[in-house]
Amino acid sequence: MNLERLPNEEKLSLCRKYYLVPLAVSGFAFLPFLWLVNVVWFFREAFLKPSYTEQLQIKAYVKRSALGLLLWVAVLTTWITIYQHFRAEWGEVGDYLSFTIPLGIP
Amino acid sequence: MNASDSDEDIYNERSALVRSESPALPSYIPDSDLTPPNGTPTKRLKAGISRRPGAAAADGGGSDPEVEAEEEELTLKYGAKHVIMLFIPVTLCMVVVVATIKSVSFYTEKTDQQLIYTPFTENTSSVGRRLLNSVLNTIIMISVIVVMTIFLVVLYKYRCYKFIHGWLILSSLMLLFWFSFMYLGEVFKTYNLAMDYPTVGVIIWNFGAVGMICIHWKGPLQLQQAYLILISALMALVFIKYLPEWSAWVILGAISVYDLVAVLSPKGPLRMLVETAQERNEPIFPALIYSSAMVWTVGMASPNETQRSEPDEEAEQSDGRAEPPSRHSRLLPEDEMEEDRGVKLGLGDFIFYSVLVGKAAATGGDWNTTLACFVAILIVCVPPWTAPPLCDLKHKQELLKTVSPAAAQRHHEHPDDSFINPDCI
Repeated sequence: MNLERLPNEEKLSLCRKYYLVPLAVSGFAFLPFLWLVNVVWFFREAFLKPSYTEQLQIKAYVKRSALGLLLWVAVLTTWITIYQHFRAEWGEVGDYLSFTIPLGIP
Repeated sequence: MNASDSDEDIYNERSALVRSESPALPSYIPDSDLTPPNGTPTKRLKAGISRRPGAAAADGGGSDPEVEAEEEELTLKYGAKHVIMLFIPVTLCMVVVVATIKSVSFYTEKTDQQLIYTPFTENTSSVGRRLLNSVLNTIIMISVIVVMTIFLVVLYKYRCYKFIHGWLILSSLMLLFWFSFMYLGEVFKTYNLAMDYPTVGVIIWNFGAVGMICIHWKGPLQLQQAYLILISALMALVFIKYLPEWSAWVILGAISVYDLVAVLSPKGPLRMLVETAQERNEPIFPALIYSSAMVWTVGMASPNETQRSEPDEEAEQSDGRAEPPSRHSRLLPEDEMEEDRGVKLGLGDFIFYSVLVGKAAATGGDWNTTLACFVAILIVCVPPWTAPPLCDLKHKQELLKTVSPAAAQRHHEHPDDSFINPDCI
């Protein structure tokens, strides 16, 4: 899909959908990856191109996606750090949560 | 024409690769420069092809040799460019497969578990028995593929689009979620990393959902290409793991034969599928085809598609089912449109080649074998899919009209003449 070829309204609509789908699908927005795609894909459109009517709205969506993405990155990083650090000490709960458990002596 | 023969040879062996080294060839600039509406198409084309003394010699001749040279140049130029465009994804897919095979031992572990399509075991005492079993496995596998292909063609003919879409969606769901989950698990085990369910859940969910959106709906082209390459690699890995050794090689051979038959013979299911799609002026389903450029139909009356497709992606069952190759490639030269349509290759081809190279890497163990297979595939298997023989005659006619009305007229009168390859059907 080449963005150059789309008329502006469709670009806006696509950007909006990419922003809304994570919110709609799971109710709680478990799709930071989609927001990342939104930001990267529409970044040029929103900020580096000469302005056109819909650009303001596209900018808004890109900014909101970026915000959501940052939030998610923070949450994930925190959780992963906590998990990796305290996994051994949690005993049973740690094992229950674990998808893979490394072998050998830490 | 001797000049064209020798040029053809050069093209097949080296020119495709050599061309990629030449910087800033005019042939890489967009269409508006390449096919001017009238005027001096031949001059421009000559400029685009800097290595063709034969063509230049032909220029001075009468209209016939000149026209033939034009056609050759056009088709060869676009063919070479598209070959390069296909090299990259095929290479990437193979690299992913080989890297996984070499690092994650899971995919090369011997397992007694086999797909239900290859019920005969290879743990037999005698060589003869093993050979027999592998041939039987192949027969079963190929029959399944043929049946599924015919089923798909029938569905397509009777316009059961919903069913087909549902099937494709189920199949890609399985690939994107289940197989990638397994794959991720194995990678973590190999590198001895701890990972918890919530994080893995989020990763797989994101990967899968964005994949579904990119493949079946709209998304950035590069991301779609990346996903298609990844799922082909995943599928190839499943095959490498679950197909027994000898059966795998016999199946690979049989599939290529079947492929030729199904696509080239007039009653072949794939040919019928392609022709039906052409009649209805519809593109083939998105989940089966890798496309190197976005199809844009502004300025084109109809997307004339010269497709050879063997679409048999199937929904995956728990054991992992065969995804028979879906081979689909075309050469679409630029015409009045600005954008190069690029070239399409069926996902089955990716899987097929990757299984070949992956098996070589798994069995051989050393890099020489792997590299040799890799180079052989790139040189032998990839260029034909972009070569002129696959051009639809009608489409070639359309193209010729823009270049030279005389050539188009001649082509129209003698549609069976193939200037490039006598096997053009």
